[in-house]
Amino acid sequence: MTALLEAQDLGRFFGNQPVFQSVTLAIQTGQHLALLGSSGGGKSTLLRLLAGLDAPEQGRIWIDGKLVSEPRRVLVPPHQRGLAMVFQDLALWPALTALENVLLGLGQDGSARRERIERAKDALEKCRVGSLASRKPAALSIGQQQRVALARALAVRPKLLLLDEAFASLDLPLKQELMGELEQLVGQFGLTLLLVTHDPFEACVLCTHALVLEGGGVVEQGRLSDLLAAPVSRTLQAFARQPRLW
Amino acid sequence: MNAMIRSDILEQPGKWRIIGITTGFLIVATPALVLMFVTTGAVPGRIGSLIGGAFGWAILRSLAVASLAAVFSLAVGLPAGIVAALYDFSARRLLLGLLALPLLLPSFIQAIGLSLLRPVLGLSADGFLSGLSGVALSFALFGIPLVLFITLASVRGISRSQVDAARLAGGEWHVVGCVARSVFSAAALAGALAGVLTLSDPGPGQILGYNGAAAEILVSFASQYDFALATRQCLLLAGVVFVLSLPVALRLAPRLATGLLARDVTPVPLTRNRAASHAGPALLLGLLVFILVLPLAGFVRPLFGNFPVGRVAQEVARTLGDTLAYGTMAGLLAVVLGVALAACAGRSAKMRIGVLCGLVLVLAAPPSLGALGWIHLAGVSPASLDPVLRSMFTVSLALALRFFPIVTLFAMRGLGTVSPSWAGAAAVHGVSFPKFVQKVLAPWLAPAVLMAALLVVLLATADVSSVLLLHPPGRGSLPLAIFTVMANAPESLVGALCLAYVGGAAGLLGLGWWLVNTFKTKS
Repeated sequence: MTALLEAQDLGRFFGNQPVFQSVTLAIQTGQHLALLGSSGGGKSTLLRLLAGLDAPEQGRIWIDGKLVSEPRRVLVPPHQRGLAMVFQDLALWPALTALENVLLGLGQDGSARRERIERAKDALEKCRVGSLASRKPAALSIGQQQRVALARALAVRPKLLLLDEAFASLDLPLKQELMGELEQLVGQFGLTLLLVTHDPFEACVLCTHALVLEGGGVVEQGRLSDLLAAPVSRTLQAFARQPRLW
Repeated sequence: MNAMIRSDILEQPGKWRIIGITTGFLIVATPALVLMFVTTGAVPGRIGSLIGGAFGWAILRSLAVASLAAVFSLAVGLPAGIVAALYDFSARRLLLGLLALPLLLPSFIQAIGLSLLRPVLGLSADGFLSGLSGVALSFALFGIPLVLFITLASVRGISRSQVDAARLAGGEWHVVGCVARSVFSAAALAGALAGVLTLSDPGPGQILGYNGAAAEILVSFASQYDFALATRQCLLLAGVVFVLSLPVALRLAPRLATGLLARDVTPVPLTRNRAASHAGPALLLGLLVFILVLPLAGFVRPLFGNFPVGRVAQEVARTLGDTLAYGTMAGLLAVVLGVALAACAGRSAKMRIGVLCGLVLVLAAPPSLGALGWIHLAGVSPASLDPVLRSMFTVSLALALRFFPIVTLFAMRGLGTVSPSWAGAAAVHGVSFPKFVQKVLAPWLAPAVLMAALLVVLLATADVSSVLLLHPPGRGSLPLAIFTVMANAPESLVGALCLAYVGGAAGLLGLGWWLVNTFKTKS
């Protein structure tokens, strides 16, 4: 397997305070990696660096072997990195309908408008919100909004899908339903997945590998099953200690 | 592709922000700076000599009016604001809407109303509705709703659970007490701002016989034609206003900066209870009678049996086009400057506080400061610049530079409610910056910016000082026409013109409200 994304010695600071330092990671093509850690630990910040939304203060990032970010510089902008992202608050544009949200997301790919409309409709259908294409986000339930956000991400046919706490605000039944559907879609599209979450349960459902970010650095990383067998980080220790209540 | 502006540029830090803010405020301050550094080379000593003379007394009179108006506005506006913010009662929204109207009327119109009311109430020309008390009362008609609405907005920063906790701890009076303590400083600052704003307003003092410093400047320029004296007086007044408004600005700006950001707070729901259902309407209705109906009654009294329809129609027809042109152009220019400044401030707390501080100072500055600066600039510039410096555009520009802070405030509030991830998603999907603005930001900000533009249009059409000093010959506005004829024209004509103006302003406000709501519903 080749590394689709590699990051070396990444560091990010707020003023003089490090959010994290010396973070090194690699995601292989087809791998499903969970980025775990406590709240406020810098997981989303790290994801923004990988997406190219912010430049790292230290370290470098490669995608498909090409250098895309170096200290204080984004060399390849986010939309040219072959990735898509579902944000924590979903980031659906409120004045646009579901279809327009997906269409605007396809705006820069150079294909004909008719083809883009077909692709957008297809993505909405695959995410089971095809019948809601003409509705604006405010007229959709949270689950439907989640599906539209996912459709917007999948429509660009990314190699790497980034999910930033995308299920955090959902109740358990809806979360399980959506994660099940996402698992199918990811398999169907053959995507590489990077999931940011503070909930190891989500990681167990969707990912095979994990990296735990705590105290400003990587505490452990590897196969999730191996990590859970002998957890080192507070996050996974707490998860492993949870009593079975049923 | 790398060279294009990224759609998340408004979420990124950069030197362009500070450059934009500095440039914006430099444009605003240009006329005042010209006046300070070019016109009056060796003036400091001569400005000092004004303090001991008649102008010094005029400043003291202005300060007395400002203090009284501030205290009165706070004493009435704070309790009314708390009741309106906490309790639901019949016609609450309608009453609040009507109470907003005095904020948009020229102060001299209300002063005219009070002066015309004196004979009805059997008060003499030197009675309660004249002199210091009359002028302070006239300004309080603006200050009370200002404090009321700032209080109303401040209560929105208190969470539902905080109010519930207070209610559990000590009942309804405890809630009112806790809320009052929590919003008092914001209301007091609003009262202080209302007081400071009176310093630069010449109208009520001239009408009700208690000339302040701003009126003296107008007299020096428009009656005595002494530009140099008017300039010195204006600079001295600006200095006093600056010294007084700076502490207000420094205290108010951080609060506003926080208040304008969207927060995840469940707002206090309106409560219905028996006492409030009677006291609320009574209080707001009483206030409405006091700040709107009484001045209007003053206009109406001389009209019984003698409504000069022809003269009013003639005067309105003569000035309506120019009045609307000044207002509309000022609104457009204010939107450009106001939105640009809000975008430059972004989410940075320091930038927002700095910009807000500057906005309070701009709002408090005497309008004559800018106007006299433009006059001087026009005097020393080549004739080829006349279309910019001696035209209706000049008047609109001066008005826009005075009232753009309103647009900035609304735009900052609007941008504060934009989720940063909208721009992030646009960047990930390669949406260009112009497309992002067109499809996402503009529709989101449009209702707020439209409303702010409408307020600027109304305030600009209400202005007298800048229009009086800058208007090209024969291109006056309706308020200016009223201001000019009020001393010599029959009471019925003055009353009818004032009534026409108030009706027009209310109509424009209603139309704007309807437009904004229609836009909101559609989008």
